[in-house]
Amino acid sequence: MTGNADHTTAERLDLQSRISDLARIPPWIERLASTYSIPDSTQFAMNLCLEEALSNVIRHGYRGTPGSIAILFSTRNGQFVFVVEDEAPLFNPVNSPELPAMNSLEEAQIGGQGIRLLRQFSDALEYHATPRGNRLTIGFASARSVTANI
Amino acid sequence: MPISTQELEGGITRVILEGRLDIEGAAAVDMPMNVIAGTKKAVLVDMEKVSFLGSMGLRALVAPARAIKGRGGKIVIFGPNELVEKVLKMSGVDTMIPIHHELQNAIAALQ
Repeated sequence: MTGNADHTTAERLDLQSRISDLARIPPWIERLASTYSIPDSTQFAMNLCLEEALSNVIRHGYRGTPGSIAILFSTRNGQFVFVVEDEAPLFNPVNSPELPAMNSLEEAQIGGQGIRLLRQFSDALEYHATPRGNRLTIGFASARSVTANI
Repeated sequence: MPISTQELEGGITRVILEGRLDIEGAAAVDMPMNVIAGTKKAVLVDMEKVSFLGSMGLRALVAPARAIKGRGGKIVIFGPNELVEKVLKMSGVDTMIPIHHELQNAIAALQ
């Protein structure tokens, strides 16, 4: 598995397709934040987007089967960029229909909120199918406002 | 994720959540939240010390809220930080579970 050729990968985290492996993401982001001076609000958005993206890959891509997921981190043009690569069946969260925000407890569609949050909290989102699986690129501006997208 | 409860005057139960309400945190609070939802009718979810909220954490809030309201009860959220509140608002949870930043207002909403 290789990273996107347009990026100079600075850091990499390799995970297995287990929900328990998601616990390795927050300390990794904390370390990146310390190295690259990432603001708290951006760290929050990174944690949120990676948890949503990877839990989708694990639950709906690999569906309980063993598999690998690589997260590549780089900086480019004022953005912090994560590339998530897996070898699961193809799934494009960028083109998936977005559920509306929940507006009643009776009609709550909780399960579909992950993709909505992924889109709302990232500043750039790109998907490419690869010969071996999926590549999702998630970008975050280096300066962001917590209230900008509300 | 630590979860504790405190009984307030007027039959109000304050549920204090602390730490990350991510997939692991949501799994940890699911059972106690369901027990609370099945037995209490006025619930104040104190999120002042919640540092992170993901979609599975939303599920851990909305499912009990549905049960409480289904029994004719009330539930409010108190004191989320700015980023946690952003998640609540973007997903529309704030339209189903009112958010308060003043404890007195949160309590008043349950009475």
